[in-house]
Amino acid sequence: MSGAPITIKSKAIESTRSSHTTEPTWVRVVLTVLALGIVAFILVSLLVVIFSEAFSSGWGGYVTALKDPDSIASIWVTITTAAVVVPLNTIFGICAAWVITKFEFWGKSLLITLIDLPFSVSPVISGLVFVLLFGREGYFGPYLKEHHLKIINTEIGVILATTFVTFPFVARELIALMQSQGSEEEQAALVLGANGWQIFTRITLPSIKWGLINGILICNARAMGEFGAVNVVAGILYTIPLQVDNFNSDNNMTAAFALSSLLAMLALVTLVVKKIVEFITERHAVQPE
Amino acid sequence: MSIEVRGVTKTFGKFTALNNVDLKVETGELLALLGPSGSGKTTLLRVIAGMETPDTGSVLFAGQDSTLKGVRQRKVGFVFQHYALFRHMNVFENIAFGLRVKPRRERPSKADITEKVNNLLKMVQLEGLANRFPGQLSGGQRQRVALARALAVEPEVLLLDEPFGALDARVRKELRDWLRHLHDDLHITSVFVTHDQEEALEVADRVVVLNKGGIEQIGTPDEVYQHPANPFVYSFLGNVNLFHGRANSGQIHLGDVSMDAPEHDTADDAPAVAYVRPHDIDISRSKNGQTIEAVVKYIHSVGPSVRLQLERSDDKSTIDAVLTRERFSELDLKTDEVVHVRPQKVQVFLDDYSI
Repeated sequence: MSGAPITIKSKAIESTRSSHTTEPTWVRVVLTVLALGIVAFILVSLLVVIFSEAFSSGWGGYVTALKDPDSIASIWVTITTAAVVVPLNTIFGICAAWVITKFEFWGKSLLITLIDLPFSVSPVISGLVFVLLFGREGYFGPYLKEHHLKIINTEIGVILATTFVTFPFVARELIALMQSQGSEEEQAALVLGANGWQIFTRITLPSIKWGLINGILICNARAMGEFGAVNVVAGILYTIPLQVDNFNSDNNMTAAFALSSLLAMLALVTLVVKKIVEFITERHAVQPE
Repeated sequence: MSIEVRGVTKTFGKFTALNNVDLKVETGELLALLGPSGSGKTTLLRVIAGMETPDTGSVLFAGQDSTLKGVRQRKVGFVFQHYALFRHMNVFENIAFGLRVKPRRERPSKADITEKVNNLLKMVQLEGLANRFPGQLSGGQRQRVALARALAVEPEVLLLDEPFGALDARVRKELRDWLRHLHDDLHITSVFVTHDQEEALEVADRVVVLNKGGIEQIGTPDEVYQHPANPFVYSFLGNVNLFHGRANSGQIHLGDVSMDAPEHDTADDAPAVAYVRPHDIDISRSKNGQTIEAVVKYIHSVGPSVRLQLERSDDKSTIDAVLTRERFSELDLKTDEVVHVRPQKVQVFLDDYSI
C-alpha cells in the first residue's frame, strides 16, 4: 500500500505564486484596453445610435412610431411566432439531448451533425427551401392548394422557417451539459426505485435547469431577431426585423429605429438574465463552506 | 437474502467480460469480488444489480429466478464507484430520495421519512451535515452519504462498486473498518468489488478472485492467502518469488535445494515452479548444501520489517525477502554481501504459468 497521504495546500501555492508566471503588466493593460475598446466602440456606439435616432423626434415621436398599426402588427407576429417556436425547440432540444447523451444507437453521430445543420446553412437558403417545398410551385404546392392550405406568406411559414433556423440552440446547450454530467445519477435514481418520469423530473431536469434557461434565452432572442429565412417566406407579413427594413426603405428612420430599440432592449434583457443565470450556476457549483 | 449466479456469460462486442460464471453469496455475508481491471468483477456486480443483462445464465435472489427482473424490481442497494450523489439535492434529500419516489401506498409519511433519514445520518456519523450539498463534502463523507442513501430503502442486498477506490489511504482504511463494523451490525448480504487485495482480505468474509472473466478461487481470506488454488491467485494476493525447478515423487528440486512437495507425489521429473512469499525466505551467512547463493543488492529499512532485494549468483534473477527487524540486526547485513537463501514455505505448481 502507499504510504501516508500527501496533502497539497493549494492556498499556499497560490499565495507564493511568483509574478513571472504571468505576462508583463503592459501587455495585460494593452490587451485589455484593446479588447474593451473594440467592444465599446462597436456595441456601445450601436446602442447609442439606435436610441438617439429612435428618440430624435422626442418621446412623443417614439410612441407614435411604435403605435403605428404596421409596428403593432409586426410586434404581434414576432411575439406569437416566438411563443410557438421557443416551446417547440425547447421540447425538441430536450428530447434530442436526452437520446444523444443517455443512449447509444446507430446513426447518433449523424443526428448530432444534423442538429448543427441550420448553423451551416445560410438562413436565406433555408427560407428558399421552404418556398421550394410549400410554395405554389413547390413539391407540396398542388396538395396544399387542393386542401385550401397555405404555408408560404402566412404565419405558419414564418414559424416553420424560424423553427428551423433556431432549433440547434437549446439542443446544443443541453448536449454539452448533459455529456459532461454523464448518466450515473439517473442510474442511481433507477436503483433507488424511481420510474422514468420521476427520474426525468427530479434528477435530469433540475440538473440541466440553468443550461436549459440559457438555451431558451438565446433561442428566443434569435427567433425574434431572425431576418433572412423569414424574409423569404413571410410575403406580406412583417415581423419586427422585416418591418424595420420596411420603414428603412420608406425612409421613415424614426420608426425604423424605434422598432429596432425594442430588439436592442430584448438583447440587453437577455444578456442581463444570462449573466444572472451564470452567477447562480457558479454559486451552485461552488457552495460556500 | 442469498444470491446465486448460474452460468452467466456477458460479452461486450468481441470482449468477453464474464465467461460462464457460477457464484453463490450466502445470506448475511460480506463478499469481495477481487481481481485486476478487466477481470469482469464490476460487470458481475452490475449483472447482479440488474444493470447489465447476461447473454446466458441466470441470477437468483433467495432461490427465485430474477434474471428478467429490472433494476427497480430487484430492490438492491447500490453504491457507485464515484458515489453518483444528486448534485442539486442536499444530503438530507439525497438520502430521502428512495423513500420519496415510492408509490403512494408504500410511501412513508413525511414525519417517518424525516425520522428515518435522521437515524441514517446518525448511523453514518453525518448528523450536522444534512443541509450540505455533495459539492461541499469530502470524499469520505460523500461515500457515507451514498451508503446511507442506498440503505434508506432497506434493501436486502447491498452492492458496492470499488467503495474505497477514490479515497486517500488514511480515509480508506478508516472507512473499511467502519464498513466491516456496520456489516456486523446490520448483517445485510453485501458484495463489494475491489482491485486491492489487502482491502478484500481484511474486510470480507469470503473473497472471490476473478481473472479474465472467470473465477479463479473462492474462499475465506485465510484460505485464499494461505492456500492459493493456482499461480494467478498466488501472485495476485501479494509479492511472490518464483523458483524454477523440477518435481519428482513428492519432492521439488530447486538447484541444490530439495524440499517436500507432497501434493506432487506422482510427478516424474516434471518442470515445476515453487512460489515463495518474501517473508518465507530465510537468509543465513553459512552455506549448508540446502541453500541458494545470492548477493544483497538493496536494503529498505522502513517500519517494523526490513525488505531486501537479492540477486541470485547463478542466474542473476531477483529475490525479494522480508526479515523482521530482530533477525535483520542479528545478521547485520550490508549491501553487496554474499548470503545464502533458503525458502521456508513453498507452494509448488507443475505447469509453468507466466505472470
